[in-house]
Amino acid sequence: MSVLFPDGASAGDVVVFWILAAMVAFFAVFTITRKNPVTAVMSLVATFFGLAAMYATLSAHFLAVLQVLVYAGAITVLFIFVVMILNREEVTPLSFRPLRVLGVLAGVYLFVKFVDVVAVGMPTVVPATPSDTFGTVAAVGDLLFRDFLYPFEAISILLLVAIVGGVVISRSHQKEVAANLAADYRKQVHELASHDYPGAAEEPAPEGHH
Amino acid sequence: MPTIYYLILSFALFLIGTTGVLLRRNALIVLMAIELQLNGGNLALIAFSRQLGDLKGHVFAFLIIALAAAEAAVGLAILVGLFRGRQTVNLDEITLMKR
Repeated sequence: MSVLFPDGASAGDVVVFWILAAMVAFFAVFTITRKNPVTAVMSLVATFFGLAAMYATLSAHFLAVLQVLVYAGAITVLFIFVVMILNREEVTPLSFRPLRVLGVLAGVYLFVKFVDVVAVGMPTVVPATPSDTFGTVAAVGDLLFRDFLYPFEAISILLLVAIVGGVVISRSHQKEVAANLAADYRKQVHELASHDYPGAAEEPAPEGHH
Repeated sequence: MPTIYYLILSFALFLIGTTGVLLRRNALIVLMAIELQLNGGNLALIAFSRQLGDLKGHVFAFLIIALAAAEAAVGLAILVGLFRGRQTVNLDEITLMKR
């Protein structure tokens, strides 16, 4: 036994875990270090796929599928769209302000301590293999629609609000600005006209109609 | 694999995300780093769920995935609106509320 190869784990499990862990960590670092946003999004997709495979090894089949559909599918497409809209070259990719670097160092320290603590407190044996229905759509859905019905409805309302909010926030205001300008212009013309010709009609009669 | 390995990986993922949020100044990359943080939390939830043989962790992970989708939609909408008005996505240049 060793740290890399824990007791009781089958060789296949260990190899798959380390490959996926290396892939996830590598592409996560790749995501936050790339200058080009498109490359960053693509490494984010790779991270999500690695995590989906890892969920499958944790017998969370439903969530593995959901991870691919929602994260690697929907959210990534959203990111790609915005990258294409913005399309900006980045001038300063990283900013090493002292306080922020201190924050990162504090995080690393916390990570090291976490590894120490968790190595003492957590059981290092492989958990018993769960039943065949563990993590399937039927099992998770049963729990979701019985015990977690209200949270489920709450999250659906949250999604609705997010959709409406997204549309309202990102809406273009150019039409409104143009309409306001045109209204101001008409008002000015009207004031000038009523000043020059006090008794004249408000609107000129359309020609060709008698 | 024992649960501890997954926990350490999930913390590492969260740490990478935090580093991205703190050090990157491109708002797009910061949003991606936030997604990494949420995924780190999800991995821990699912690992504990298997450890305890309890499916509730899966339900919470499901809710977090929905939350992440909502967060990405609103965050990116704010980003697009911001870019329309100011022609920048650099977080150091967006200081309207600092004055």
